[in-house]
Amino acid sequence: MARSKELVHGIGRLSRSQVFAKRGLYKGLKKSEKPAAEAPAEFVEKSVGGAKNGEKRLVPTSKAPRFYPAEDVRQPKKSRKSPKPAKLRSSISPGTVLILLAGRFRGKRVVFLKQLTSGLLLVTGPFKINGVPLRRVNQAYVIATSTKIDLEGLKVDERINDAYFAKATVKGARTAEEEFFEDGKPKAKEPLSESKTTDQKIIDTAVIAAVKKTDSLAKYLRASWGLSKGQYPHQMVF
Amino acid sequence: MQEYQIVGRHLPTESNPTPKIFRMRIFAPNEVVAKSRFWYFLRQLNKVKKANGEIIGVNVISEKRPLRIKNFGIWIRYDSRSGTHNMYKEFRELTRADAVKALYQDMAARHRARFRSIHILRVVEIEKKDDVRRPYIRQLMEPDLKFPLPHRVSKSRSLFVAQRPSTY
Amino acid sequence: MFLLLYLFWGLLWMDSNFKRFVEVGRVVLLKTGSSAGKIAVISEIIDHNRAIIDGPTTGVPRQSFPYKHLILTPLALTTLPRGAGSAVIRKLMEKEAVVEKWEKSHWSQKRRALERRRALNDFGRFQVMVAKKQRRDVVRKAVAKAKKAA
Repeated sequence: MARSKELVHGIGRLSRSQVFAKRGLYKGLKKSEKPAAEAPAEFVEKSVGGAKNGEKRLVPTSKAPRFYPAEDVRQPKKSRKSPKPAKLRSSISPGTVLILLAGRFRGKRVVFLKQLTSGLLLVTGPFKINGVPLRRVNQAYVIATSTKIDLEGLKVDERINDAYFAKATVKGARTAEEEFFEDGKPKAKEPLSESKTTDQKIIDTAVIAAVKKTDSLAKYLRASWGLSKGQYPHQMVF
Repeated sequence: MQEYQIVGRHLPTESNPTPKIFRMRIFAPNEVVAKSRFWYFLRQLNKVKKANGEIIGVNVISEKRPLRIKNFGIWIRYDSRSGTHNMYKEFRELTRADAVKALYQDMAARHRARFRSIHILRVVEIEKKDDVRRPYIRQLMEPDLKFPLPHRVSKSRSLFVAQRPSTY
Repeated sequence: MFLLLYLFWGLLWMDSNFKRFVEVGRVVLLKTGSSAGKIAVISEIIDHNRAIIDGPTTGVPRQSFPYKHLILTPLALTTLPRGAGSAVIRKLMEKEAVVEKWEKSHWSQKRRALERRRALNDFGRFQVMVAKKQRRDVVRKAVAKAKKAA
């Protein structure tokens, strides 16, 4: 209702058809003459037995429902909006050192690689330095530092996308207990697939090579981050 | 607070096609109040009021040298709760408008006086030291004036410190 | 008569415990405002709360400034006449090398060091931490050695 200014709440200055005319969407509409589809017959003539029944009767092809809701309940309007992926913070670019603030690896300093289509950030420890694997994180749970690692020439494989990190769905309806205690013993941990470790290695070798160019940067990435007395994150420079 | 120059007159009539033009210097927080005060004073002094008059011009009078310290003497007429008094006060300020502002503050503090109960009669810069009547203004005009700032409390971030703070 | 008064005034603060005074020519450090952290000179005293300050060589415009928002420094221009203009103050400040004296002072150096520390990023803070650790290590070892020898 942007075009028709609201007179009072819910009532615009222009009617629906006026807004339609103003928006002028019909101008782009293509009108192609479709052959009118033949409407299926509403009634079927059936012969009926019995002398008093008039021999023939028109029977509807689709039966009317036997049940009508007593009250006229309005259907809530379906929202056609869908969330967009988050915009990358301007302080983050490939090679930026990030501080993770939540999750299993909170307090770790990691290297940002790229933003995935879902809006999550793809980061790596690198694994060899601080044990953080290739991982997706939400940028809301991250502090971007001004330290940057030169990742010129590093190409992250297109295979590494959101689907890459999705968990394989288990087929079959088994209870969690059954799955965990197979034959009375806890199930052995599944090893990480070979391909994932090689992906990690390929990316990390390039990142580590870049990290080594700066003095004590590897040490920095290995150390974990925290606040001490008298430090307030909003007053600090990162 | 600003100083305004307001120029106004009675509306021309058949009997008097060229009425006398009046000019006033008025201290007010804004132009609207300044015009209102102009009509207030004019209808007390002459047979002109807003309904039969017009304002010809409103200008702000700005200080010629706003970075030179001046001593101002101000004469006022003040309606207290029990009567009307004339007063003379002195202020050491940078501009005339600042001095009047300080006057209103001072009157509000000492006498709980409102803006409406004070008429500024005259604001004059005192040029010579001998003309300064109040000792608290005169003491600031001493040639080699100097004084310490005793008891300056510095804030420490920590609760316990090794040395006692110096307050001067 | 005037001479006597002058002498008396001079003597009044001679044996005072106070060392810094609000006086014409006193160098002050500004605590707040757009020129916070800069130094300026008191060019004239308005009253018990304010003075006109000016810093033609330090980028502080001539203005009225409350004592509450400034700190008196031990520096002062000795021969500044009362109510001097910016040009005179500039000349005297350059002649007496006030800015250089201030920059050299411990106080100013400490302020600058603090500022530099505050401006460090996360990596910089880490590097300082490492350097301090190394220094501590060297000192402790030396102390232990000296203790053994004694």
